[in-house]
Amino acid sequence: MRRVSAVTAVLALCAAVLTGCGLSIPTDPDGTLDRVTGDVLRVGASPSGELVVVTSTDAVSGPLPDLVTGFAESRDARVVWTVGSEEDLVDALETGELDLAIGGMTEATPWTDRVSVTRGFSGIPASGGHPVVILLPLGENALQSALETYLDGEVGP
Amino acid sequence: MIGRMTSMGRTDLPPEQQAALRSAVRWEWFTIAYTCVTIALIALVVGGSQAMKTAWIEDMLSLIPQISFLVALLLIRHRPTRGFPYGLHRAMGVGHLVAGVALLAIGGSLAVESVIGLVRAEHPAIGTVTVFGQTVWLGWFMVAVMSVIVIGPFFYGHAKAKLAPVLHNKVLYADADMAKADWTTTVASIVGVLGIGIGWWWLDGAAALFISAGIVWDGWRNARSAVLDLIDQRARTHDDADPHPLADRIVQHLRAQPWVADASVRMRDMGQVFHVEAFVVPRRGRVRLARVEDARAGIAELDWKVQDVVVIPVETLPDETRGKERS
Repeated sequence: MRRVSAVTAVLALCAAVLTGCGLSIPTDPDGTLDRVTGDVLRVGASPSGELVVVTSTDAVSGPLPDLVTGFAESRDARVVWTVGSEEDLVDALETGELDLAIGGMTEATPWTDRVSVTRGFSGIPASGGHPVVILLPLGENALQSALETYLDGEVGP
Repeated sequence: MIGRMTSMGRTDLPPEQQAALRSAVRWEWFTIAYTCVTIALIALVVGGSQAMKTAWIEDMLSLIPQISFLVALLLIRHRPTRGFPYGLHRAMGVGHLVAGVALLAIGGSLAVESVIGLVRAEHPAIGTVTVFGQTVWLGWFMVAVMSVIVIGPFFYGHAKAKLAPVLHNKVLYADADMAKADWTTTVASIVGVLGIGIGWWWLDGAAALFISAGIVWDGWRNARSAVLDLIDQRARTHDDADPHPLADRIVQHLRAQPWVADASVRMRDMGQVFHVEAFVVPRRGRVRLARVEDARAGIAELDWKVQDVVVIPVETLPDETRGKERS
């Protein structure tokens, strides 16, 4: 039983140290959320029906881009769009050239081992009820938490 | 008193061992039920943490010793037959070996997986879940689940550790030993998840590596101990620490017989019981059959573990039964 109390003590110590340092959990290993806040959110878009519409002048619109713009505004950031194929966007996320990627990706996306994938959100207009996900750099958990929290508020369950 | 050579060996147990065995079976069933619950709980929260995944698989692997113990129990109670003249005691050793090899192989592959993850700098991803309308980071649930399930192994680990020496059962002993060390796995997975939480992505892989190294170490110890008994090393205590003292007691018992000039013994571990070959050098060239038979019965009375005994009159004692053990 001595070990159980030792474990509890270690956990309590961890919690105390973490809150004492003013750390927010989760934190991004590469600090994407901090960098984006009050600055620029670089988003890649891949056209998908009426969900993500790309005009001939590379202007991006649709319900999903609107949500992303809303998220950026909630962090005092403006969105810079890049248009490309899904694989191009995943490559750009991996190399750190993009912060988010949107398109017709759903929970069944095969990119899960190269990028982080948000929970699926079925409530987005024009998604046809499919659980739509947003891709972000692998392991940027603070960005993912912030984004999912925002989406829960807008189109959540 | 056992019957005169109607059957070699015995498969029933004295009252103390019977009680211990019943208790051990109850603890094993309890452990299996508990582990199934923890596996289900972790499945709900496992997420993208390699440490959590490793701890989860370790939980599944920890079922193997319990299942092999219970299966072996069904087999070893069979009496020796013409087809299986030593009984089926070795089933316990086979179960022990299976558990050891499974731990070694899967622990090794998990270790490689976590090293590859670290080398490739794969940042573990943990998202959020919504609970009662609140968006909560899944990592907190991982920490909560692991903090709750850390408790169980303390109880069943210590209970089984008390029963294993009574039953001289190495599978049970290894199982108890692993349960007692299980808290390190749980704490490591919590550390890994908290590491991800503060942005130290590598802490997760490091924790996973630590856990898988523990699995490999358990596998190595179990497989080694099982193999040594299966290739008939000299019988040792339940924790493999020392040669089993019964061997010396048997030799002393034989040397105390007035007709015996010298004696030695070759004793191997069949799983829960021993197989004993006792060599005696008689004082005279003739030995009465009744004396050999009495010596056999006398040894069998020394301990419940030594029922399968043969006494062989010889001119000189075999070398391998005497002198110091080569280590």
